[in-house]
Amino acid sequence: MVIDFNSLYDVPKNFERLFDEFARMQAGGARRTQYPLVNVYESDNGYVVDVIVPGVTPEDIELTLTESNLIIKGERKASSGRMFRQERSSGSFQRIINMNVPVDRDNVEARSVNGILRVSIPKAEAVKPRRIAIQS
Amino acid sequence: MQKDTETTRQVVPATDILEMDDGFHILMDLPGVGAEGLAIDLEENELTIRGTSTYAPVDKGNAMHVEFDAVSYARTFTLSDIVDRERIKATLRDGQLDLFLPKAEAAKPRRIEIRTA
Repeated sequence: MVIDFNSLYDVPKNFERLFDEFARMQAGGARRTQYPLVNVYESDNGYVVDVIVPGVTPEDIELTLTESNLIIKGERKASSGRMFRQERSSGSFQRIINMNVPVDRDNVEARSVNGILRVSIPKAEAVKPRRIAIQS
Repeated sequence: MQKDTETTRQVVPATDILEMDDGFHILMDLPGVGAEGLAIDLEENELTIRGTSTYAPVDKGNAMHVEFDAVSYARTFTLSDIVDRERIKATLRDGQLDLFLPKAEAAKPRRIEIRTA
């Protein structure tokens, strides 16, 4: 059986390209809707996605994981009262993160600490890099 | 590119200032800041809020896409005399600081009684 490593090497390139396109698309509309900033880290075991969502309680955030996408959706309600200054954006927001590698959906963890949501997504066992023993 | 590990980048946090009937509310976005990392000082008329984020980026593996970093926040406001200093209340929740600045009793609109002499 031959294991094709090409797809694994391509993942960072495709991933980054998807993100650049996405960022460019969003840049125009960033003023209108809330734009939660996102960091994505990749290791051999999985992905870690950090999202800045201050002032939004975890109950108001909807996290959906499809086969290849992580969708972060939510809404920040605008404050009521006489506004002297408004710098924070409010309203609904959505970020979609595309992952080309199959992930283990049953073991996804999400924790919200001080307004930063960290989602840990382990890669599916089949995709993790594996050490091959050399027989002599 | 050398990274200075001693001091983090300082950023002005996004703030909403609103007035409600009972007083002013200052709502600040301080993601990553917990109660230990937050300091609020009132000196004469100036209210200074300082916060350090405890966000630690994942160091194993590579950063595919990074849009934010751990920063420290600082902002100063000048309070007017209407604010009742003794009753200022600060609530920090989910990275959002809600500073309640009540108006002093004397400043609230009051109806003045008319006595007929």
